[in-house]
Amino acid sequence: MKTSAVFSALLSLLSLASAAGADSKSSDSSTTLPATFRPPQVFKNANLVHVISVEKNYVKENINVLVQNIDKAAQHEYFVPFAADQMARLGGVEVKDRKDSSAGPFVAEAVEFDQESDIQYLRITLPKPLAPGAQQTLGISYYLLKAYKPLPASIKQEDPQFLSFSFSAYCPSAYTTTKQKTEVKFPSSTIPDYTKLPGSGDIQEFPQKQGSKLTYGPFDEKPAGATQPVSVRFEFNKPVTHVSHLERDIEVSHWGGNVAFEERYTLHHRGANLSSLFNRVKWQQSQYYAPNTFALKEMKFPLRVGSADPYYTDVIGNVSTSKFRSNKREALLEIKPRYPVFGGWKYPFTIGWNSDAKNFLRKTAAGGFVLNVPFLEGPRQAEGVEYEQVQVRIILPEGAENVQYHTSVPAQSITEADVEIHRTFLDTIGRTALVIKARNLVDDFRDRELVVTYDYPLAAALRKPLIVFGSAVALFVSAWAVGNLELKFDATKK
Amino acid sequence: MSKSSGKVKAGQLWSKNKDELTKQLGELKTELSQLRIQKIVSSGTKLTKIHDIRKSIARVLTVINAKQRAQLRLFYKNKKYLPLDLRAKQTRAIRRRLSPEDASRVLEKTKKRQTHFPQRKFAVKHHQPPTQATMSADPLQVLASAGKGESTRGLLRVIILALIAGAAIASRLFSVIRFESIIHEFDPWFNFRATKYLVANGFYNFWDWFDDRTWHPLGRVTGGTLYPGLMVTSGVIYHALRALTIPVDIRNICVLLAPAFSGLTAVAAYLLTNEMTPSSSAGLLAALFMGIAPGYISRSVAGSYDNEAIAIFLLVFTFYLWIKALKQGSMLWGALCALFYGYMVASWGGYAFITCLLPLHAFVLVCMGRYSTRLYVAYTTWYALGTLASMQIPFVGFLPVKTSEHMPALGIFGFLQLLAFLDYVRSAIPSRQFQTFLWLFAGGTFGLGLLGLVVATSAGFIAPWSGRFYSLWDTGYAKIHIPIIASVSEHQPTAWPAFFFDLNMLIWLFPVGVYLCFQQLADEHVFIVVYALFGSYFAGVMVRLMLTLTPVVCVAAAIAVSTLLDTYLSVKTPKPEASQPAEAAEGKKAAKSGLKSTNKPVVGIYAVWGKSMMVSALAVYLLLFVLHCTWVTSNAYSSPSVVLASRMPDGSQHIIDDYREAYQWLRQNTREDAKIMSWWDYGYQIGGMADRPTLVDNNTWNNTHIATVGKAMSSREEVSYPIMRQHEVDYVLVVFGGLLGYSGDDINKFLWMVRIAEGIWPDEVSERAFFTQRGEYRVDGEATETMKNSLMYKMSYYNYNNLFPAGQAVDRMRQARLPEVGPTLSTMEEAFTSENWIIRIYKVKDLDNLGRDHMSAAAFDRGHKKKKATKKRGPRSLRVD
Repeated sequence: MKTSAVFSALLSLLSLASAAGADSKSSDSSTTLPATFRPPQVFKNANLVHVISVEKNYVKENINVLVQNIDKAAQHEYFVPFAADQMARLGGVEVKDRKDSSAGPFVAEAVEFDQESDIQYLRITLPKPLAPGAQQTLGISYYLLKAYKPLPASIKQEDPQFLSFSFSAYCPSAYTTTKQKTEVKFPSSTIPDYTKLPGSGDIQEFPQKQGSKLTYGPFDEKPAGATQPVSVRFEFNKPVTHVSHLERDIEVSHWGGNVAFEERYTLHHRGANLSSLFNRVKWQQSQYYAPNTFALKEMKFPLRVGSADPYYTDVIGNVSTSKFRSNKREALLEIKPRYPVFGGWKYPFTIGWNSDAKNFLRKTAAGGFVLNVPFLEGPRQAEGVEYEQVQVRIILPEGAENVQYHTSVPAQSITEADVEIHRTFLDTIGRTALVIKARNLVDDFRDRELVVTYDYPLAAALRKPLIVFGSAVALFVSAWAVGNLELKFDATKK
Repeated sequence: MSKSSGKVKAGQLWSKNKDELTKQLGELKTELSQLRIQKIVSSGTKLTKIHDIRKSIARVLTVINAKQRAQLRLFYKNKKYLPLDLRAKQTRAIRRRLSPEDASRVLEKTKKRQTHFPQRKFAVKHHQPPTQATMSADPLQVLASAGKGESTRGLLRVIILALIAGAAIASRLFSVIRFESIIHEFDPWFNFRATKYLVANGFYNFWDWFDDRTWHPLGRVTGGTLYPGLMVTSGVIYHALRALTIPVDIRNICVLLAPAFSGLTAVAAYLLTNEMTPSSSAGLLAALFMGIAPGYISRSVAGSYDNEAIAIFLLVFTFYLWIKALKQGSMLWGALCALFYGYMVASWGGYAFITCLLPLHAFVLVCMGRYSTRLYVAYTTWYALGTLASMQIPFVGFLPVKTSEHMPALGIFGFLQLLAFLDYVRSAIPSRQFQTFLWLFAGGTFGLGLLGLVVATSAGFIAPWSGRFYSLWDTGYAKIHIPIIASVSEHQPTAWPAFFFDLNMLIWLFPVGVYLCFQQLADEHVFIVVYALFGSYFAGVMVRLMLTLTPVVCVAAAIAVSTLLDTYLSVKTPKPEASQPAEAAEGKKAAKSGLKSTNKPVVGIYAVWGKSMMVSALAVYLLLFVLHCTWVTSNAYSSPSVVLASRMPDGSQHIIDDYREAYQWLRQNTREDAKIMSWWDYGYQIGGMADRPTLVDNNTWNNTHIATVGKAMSSREEVSYPIMRQHEVDYVLVVFGGLLGYSGDDINKFLWMVRIAEGIWPDEVSERAFFTQRGEYRVDGEATETMKNSLMYKMSYYNYNNLFPAGQAVDRMRQARLPEVGPTLSTMEEAFTSENWIIRIYKVKDLDNLGRDHMSAAAFDRGHKKKKATKKRGPRSLRVD
């Protein structure tokens, strides 16, 4: 039985490998380059608009750049530089052609060359090499996690929270940039501090402030690698929710016709700490007078319609402060942490729910199965949620094989995908589990889908009932046989 | 003379007495001889008379004989033996026949064969359209014939037992359904934590577990100071289920262990009762009572993961095995008994109950002159193996040979050896010498033994009776000498209503059952009597020991109820007019069999209405009992006490979860090794839920350490702060019920802290100082200065008055209006207060940066001027180098 288990596991591994080769090149395809690598100066940024959004508790950056090939040969590799510490916090990189939306997301991957180097590069592979002198508009969007520092670092319970964020006014680029500007969008217009730069042209001073937006630029030509550090400090009286680890299990049961979800969050608040310890009186009073606080009080999980039996627990047991509203239009799970989570505090918890398999599972004409589930279903918060490590584990029925997956989550964020064996509930060979690890995701990706296809032969479906029945019969037969044994010394001679 | 008397009529003879009859006999005989002579000498005509005379002689003789026998019968009436001639002659074969009892006796083996492989009876069913008359008779018939077959009965019994076990489990699940699968109370949290440790680290690490996260800074040798049976049982179940790849959370195993074992206890009660009475309905009733009696449910609801959860099963089962061993004189059963006794020792400190009860039973049997080899084999096997088994538990170790509590068992063991020896000697020497030998020998040994015991005790080889033991004899002992024991509510003497609350109708059926045991009084009934006596006494002394009484109450009550039911529920109802002739026939038969004294008058209840009334009354009682048990279980014993339930205005349930809120906060937002000081009640919960080191916990092994915490709580801040610094306390946790009206809070327990502290530091802490002049324990403005300045008071009411409009602060628990100005704290700061203020956590301040003492630093912060240096003469503050 064991060898067969290993064998089938191997089979599915092989199938996965072929699948991974086919549609997701991200996992282990970083190219290794010599340590002295510098991007060849083959491009010029004709025009660049850098939009930094700090509206949520992560940073979303959008670089719209018009690139021009200034080399003699056609080029297809465009490099984007990042600071080494940014690279670890970078996620959800998506590159599109702004002019041609049908071109689909381009492949963007980290370049591996020198681990010690301060500058790391992201390589964008253009699907069609750019002819010499030709231009193309790239839209590069990505997210930076753990981007802010609270300033002041510790405040009173009832004070508003301010965050500071440092970046470069010149968009970091490996190429010469002719013209550029940087826009920063804030959650509110309260921006007490920001770095002021001398203006150029008809503008006296950078930045220009329009409501909740700051604009640095336009700047004139800057050489490759030019930086201008600036920092801003803005009011953000909302929790800085950071999920350092999310484990998401999706268990498919064909016999039960059920898909069970369970998510285990390790949640931190990365905002300002309390300068004096928690005061319940003030908290209770502020609930009436000033309900706006930077503490995390509540989270709302809009689940798929038809979700049922939710639970919300933590390491001690059930948490009673949750509400679940389910009807034809919505299935909203509202949970409250046991205590309001302030800056520097931590609150790990677990939620789970069930749903009918027919909402997610479909049988294909070829006889296989297709499972379509959301990759991420975290809370939907106005201030956003960032996820540092995400592990999605899809537990397929015992004996499922030929597992392949496809997801619309940016390939850059997916670090690892593997097929494992998961044993539970009277399994003999164990269930096939597809484990996908991703990093640096944000709640913008919460409705991106994950499609898993697999085969599930009838023999595999019948295995468990037969085995359970067989072992029960064997048990009874052996009990009967043991009961029939005459173990006593019989005094009466026959 | 009466020559012409003619034929003698027997009827006339009966009235004559013996002399007359002899005279007549003589006359008749003479007449006969004359006739014979005539016959020879002459040819007489009266020759035909010879025949008549002979018959007459025979008649007279018959009458004489009959009279004589009647006289003898009269004479021998009520004598032990009857002369052979007077006995019923019948035939030789009939006389040699076995008595009905003997004839119906079967070997154990045959009995088993009959139950397992009964003779199959087949009959061709005769189809007959039912008539009116048979229709009406049918149900009774069916009822009477149902369960007639041995295998049907066996099956029914198994099904009923399974249902009872199911009911026992189900009735313990209230808390899981109402709340959740959660560990209850206090001690279970430690057991749960220990089980998790066992599962995570394996058995050997568990055995050697030194826990440095409790009793800081002393630590606790946990592996050697606990009864591992419970945890090991859960661990084995956990690993067995894992091996079957059933992914069960260890918490759920712990929560559901007690209900599962209560199902087993019901079965054990069935087995035990079956040893007492042949009626199997008694066993089933006992199982039912055991399954749902609140006295047992109180300690075995789901989540009540305490030693008692499995110990009561082991107790009952060990008793069953003991009875079995005793009845059969079997070493195998004795060894099994020892095995389960060992398991019991590994599980619960209450094993001493068995250790004392079995010797007592043996002793009573010997005193009743019932010494037998069966007793000898059973007892010695149990004692030798059981003691060895119990000594394998590190926590028990050499206690079985070193402490006074265990001495009775050893003494009886020796006593039985002596008896066995004497038995042998008696068979070897003449009885006259034996008498002398007996007295000398027995007296000498007893004297020597007693002397040895006294010497060993006074020399310290054998520990004298412990304080806990004394508190069993003198209920006031603990309050004076061991306040820690007295401070636990379950160690208080039992109030009378508790018996009715926990046992309901069983408590008045119990004496009846014991009386019925007296009627039969075989060895096993003596056991029930002894157990009943002992158990009742201890249950009266301590609320908690109601638990050990419950099994015997269930068994005795079941015997009583089943006897009643068996008497009144006989389906064979002879109709009154039909029974009359039957009785007459019976009477005739009795007269015929003459002087047979064994014939008892047949009594029985024939009136259907009487029967049905009795049975329905019993049924009502039984139903009421079930109702009562369900009500008690649901209302009194199914609250986890970690989670409190209240009702919202609309009637929906609102859960107050302050404990876990605060514990989770501690667990997530404090340092891994932050030391928490709290009263010992919460030590296990903090260890289990908050996973933080504590100073004292429910293990209470070190009274001084607990008193230290008590002193810190009951003293002024200036005194408490150095104590807390010395013990590296980071946080202090208090329970405060003032906002919610929650009675189990620390202010209500405060006096115990004071008392325990006073026991160690009578000079520094005084209970009197916490009472007002008029002897009242107050928390409002009238409270004493000592009270107001105590750390506990300050921590409970700190900042509390800010919650109310000025001057309106009210303690809802004690219905007291608090002073307008709340207490101030200078050596600690509020760190967390739960939603309903039940748990308040304070952080102990570090030393002041500027080297000031905390009082002046706090005063400075409040904006007061610095106090003059000369006023600085209060209690000491910590000097730090």
